[in-house]
Amino acid sequence: MKRLTGIVIAVLFWSCQEEVILDLGTKSELVPTIEAYWTDQGIFNEVKMTLSKDYYDSTKVEVISDAEVFVTIPGTEKVIPFVFLGGTKSYRPRNPLEKAVVGETYQLHIRWRENIYRAEGVMLEPPKVDSVTWRFEEKRPFRDEGFYVKVFGKIPFKENNNYRIRVIENDTLKNQRGDYLLFDDTFGLGFFEKGLELGYTFKEKDRVRLELFRLNRDAYDYLNQLVNLLFNDGGLFSPPPQNPKTNIRVMSGKPEVLGYFVVSPVLTRTILIQAKYD
Amino acid sequence: MSLFRVLTLFFLTSICYQTYSQDQRMISGQVLDVGTSEPLIGASVYWEGKSNEGVITDLEGKFELTLVSLPSKLVISYVGFARSVRIINPKDAEKLIRFFLKPEEMSLDEIIIQERKPDEQLKNMEMGKATVPIETIKNIPALFGEVDLLRSLQLLPGVQTAGEGTTGLFVRGGSADQNLVQLDGAPVYNPSHFFGIFSVFNPDGLKSVDLYKGNMPASFGGRAASLIDVTLREGNNQQIRGEGGIGSISSRLTVDGPLFGKNSSFILSGRRTYADLFLRLASDENIRNNKLNFHDLSGKLSFILGEKDKISISSYQGSDFLGLDEAFGLGWTNWVSALNWNRVSSEKFFFDLQAYHSRYSYSVEFDDLENGFEWTNQLSESGIKAIWTALPHSRLQVNWGLHSQYYHFSPVDLDPAPESAIEPIATNPKNGLLNNLFISANYELSPKLSVEGGLRWGLFNQVGKGVDYLYEAGKPAPEAKIIDSLNFGRFENMQFYQGLEPRLAFRYRITDYFTVKTAYNRNFQYIQIASNSSAGLPIDRWILSGRYIEPVKSDQISLGLFHNINQNRWELSVEGYYKNLENVIDLRNGAQVLFTDKVETELLSGEGWAYGTEFLLRKNIGKTTGWLAYTWSRTWRRIEGVSQNKAYNPRFDRPNDVTLVLNHEFSPSWSAGLVFVYTTGQAVSYPVGSYQVDNQSVPLYSEFRNLDRFPDYHRVDASVTWKNADKGRKWRGSWNFSIYNLYGRKNPFAYEFRQIYNNDINFNPNTDGEITSSRPGVVMTYLFTFLPSITYNFQF
Repeated sequence: MKRLTGIVIAVLFWSCQEEVILDLGTKSELVPTIEAYWTDQGIFNEVKMTLSKDYYDSTKVEVISDAEVFVTIPGTEKVIPFVFLGGTKSYRPRNPLEKAVVGETYQLHIRWRENIYRAEGVMLEPPKVDSVTWRFEEKRPFRDEGFYVKVFGKIPFKENNNYRIRVIENDTLKNQRGDYLLFDDTFGLGFFEKGLELGYTFKEKDRVRLELFRLNRDAYDYLNQLVNLLFNDGGLFSPPPQNPKTNIRVMSGKPEVLGYFVVSPVLTRTILIQAKYD
Repeated sequence: MSLFRVLTLFFLTSICYQTYSQDQRMISGQVLDVGTSEPLIGASVYWEGKSNEGVITDLEGKFELTLVSLPSKLVISYVGFARSVRIINPKDAEKLIRFFLKPEEMSLDEIIIQERKPDEQLKNMEMGKATVPIETIKNIPALFGEVDLLRSLQLLPGVQTAGEGTTGLFVRGGSADQNLVQLDGAPVYNPSHFFGIFSVFNPDGLKSVDLYKGNMPASFGGRAASLIDVTLREGNNQQIRGEGGIGSISSRLTVDGPLFGKNSSFILSGRRTYADLFLRLASDENIRNNKLNFHDLSGKLSFILGEKDKISISSYQGSDFLGLDEAFGLGWTNWVSALNWNRVSSEKFFFDLQAYHSRYSYSVEFDDLENGFEWTNQLSESGIKAIWTALPHSRLQVNWGLHSQYYHFSPVDLDPAPESAIEPIATNPKNGLLNNLFISANYELSPKLSVEGGLRWGLFNQVGKGVDYLYEAGKPAPEAKIIDSLNFGRFENMQFYQGLEPRLAFRYRITDYFTVKTAYNRNFQYIQIASNSSAGLPIDRWILSGRYIEPVKSDQISLGLFHNINQNRWELSVEGYYKNLENVIDLRNGAQVLFTDKVETELLSGEGWAYGTEFLLRKNIGKTTGWLAYTWSRTWRRIEGVSQNKAYNPRFDRPNDVTLVLNHEFSPSWSAGLVFVYTTGQAVSYPVGSYQVDNQSVPLYSEFRNLDRFPDYHRVDASVTWKNADKGRKWRGSWNFSIYNLYGRKNPFAYEFRQIYNNDINFNPNTDGEITSSRPGVVMTYLFTFLPSITYNFQF
């Protein structure tokens, strides 16, 4: 819909754009942001904590390095402690071999200064990815000419069908607002069996890495709301902008926290685009 | 024609009848407008020097007058037209004589505004009602030169706009879906073309528009904020006539004339844009392959059946289409039809019957082998309304009647293409039956004091065929599990609501030129749009009241002072109001309402209130006409789950609103119009910071909604009209040059808070190469700075 309205406004009605400086408000206190992944692959398991900043501040965000972070399994005495690593500027499991197991429920605990945060997620069974193919396509409606990647697989689940695919092209994560690939079963999941075409064009010799996540609904909603916010143009056709609803609860301390907690299996595939195998 | 005028006419006609009985030798004739050949009702006819013994023309402009010794001079006079004096010879008395009156040499506004009695605002009971003559609307400088009814109403006090160039109306704190826009009594569900840029009404085909800002008569209801009552023009019954215009964006043509003789007429009105023709001229192939157009077509047939009955049949059809890359299409269509039967049973008893059907549909098509689909949806309302009016005596008028409405909201239907990988979606239909009984009485207690009381009783049933879901803990929520579903058969009751809607008004004339009025109104609204954007979209989803969605309840109290100055040449009014709203809805963050069968899980509910003072100074007579309006108002909403459950201002809360509308006629050929608009900026949310998540820099918003404001909005529009008055009756043309936003004010349409790469707001990181810098920025979009247009209008 955004493209439609954008075209109507831009093409027909002589709209113009220019950069302006607005006098924006500020937060009296910076808000902590938590971004936590707990998966079945150690490389993805980390917790990032940063602080918000003023809107026009173009310096890097301040990293919180003095928090206490651990993951537990409710109903057990299992505790998985995390430690802060200066190299990644994130918290990683003290034991890198620790990882999520399908069927378990995990709780994230964070204590920072007087604040205590908690979040929870269930490790879901991953779908099956049978193959990843590529093919050169001529220019089509809404699609430029280039190599297109298709993912074939099976999703046999009747519920908790909330997925995200991340695409890394030649070691660069595709992370523009239009690059998000989130899907659920609103329109069925048959397209996954018939081959889900990623909406990006690739070139010959591109190395493409795909990461498929099966998310809990609250984390999926968070990402959906995040994308909506990134596309919110502040116009009449956009809803009032709101921060995505975090799935992290404040147990004590200051009431505001941003970010989300993901518990998910991860399937990865890497391909090299080669015309001769098209 | 207002009921008052009908009544006046019948009283006057009765005087004529008395004259007949006194003398058998009569002269008969008919008085017509030379320009339109329409009958002039209420024109004075008398022999020269005997004005006290004259008669008044009837509904068909006809009269009979006692003969005097001939030859004698017969005088015909009518307000706004040149007086006609003709010598009548004995042979003239044997036949029906036609008199064509010519408008006086003054502006159209002056003529038209005379239709409204100069002291009407002092005498009537109405508050919060605004009537803008169609000819006045045509003289207001217009965007793209396209005369627009709804945009003209935005110039009235108490009416806000969603934003630059849009036709959505926000009346006294109500949202856009709380306005009942009706055409000849039939509701129009999406009264806009081009995503709200133009309204669906072709001004040439219209007779009148009345805006009721909440204080509706008891015979109307169903919406919480306002009634916009648009009436299609009837064709003349003398000869084929036409008018139209060729503009920058569209052209239009209206033809009217007699149908089967003098007792029936037709009018046909059409308009089409040619925006898509401009697109084909674009050098960019992506733009050239797009389609964008709209058209509308309306018609009305009128039949006079004897002296007591009149029937009219009217219909309107309008469509928009947007096509992209020859693969994607979005189209939407309004189609409304109405049948009206008016019966004058006696001088003191009237009956009106109305039947209508309104249908709105849209279709989205995507032509793609793997993901193609067709998505359609449709809603309709059918209704029948009967009103009886009685005049037991000269100071009492009573109306009563019933109004039955049937709503049918079709299932959302997403039908994949044969090879498409996506699966079909079909929701359950929603149906509603609303029966209303109403009665009202207007009693003049004394020459100074009048009272009007009314009561409307709405009985609403959501009926099958349909499905209701029962949720865990009895409350719908996205995470709540469905514990049961209830299936209902056709017309089986699913949910019932009823509500009494009292209406009460007093008018006290302090002096001949000074009146005070007060009114109280309650309205229930059983349908709403589930949307949280400020401007309506063609695919907006309407929802019915039901198990989890209660009807909106609106209470409004108002007080007004009305003063006419300089022998009614100037009208001054000040009105204050307070409105309370219950059960207004909003959407949860990230709500998806278009395809779900459980839309109630995506909704939030709350209350609202609004108050304000509206000031209007209006000049109706003279070379210069127009009005100055100032409104101070506030609008609030409190929705559980929004803004920390605290009250907030919706986007259209704009406390200060000033409008100046001027028209001046320099000569019979030259006239000019000017509009100045100033309003407080829209209430919006700006970021209060930013944060990093998922490798994105994300704007951080306050938990409280709309604490910020766009800059104040203001602009001036101007127009000049030249018409060649000497071209005669066959063809009369005029040129209109208008400029929208004369001084090129950059009023913001939107502020987007996003990363700016390489110090270039147009830099696209996916296609424009390497990113060398990135920083947060604010990009303003603005529309329509200094937009000239030219329109050629004609009549034949």
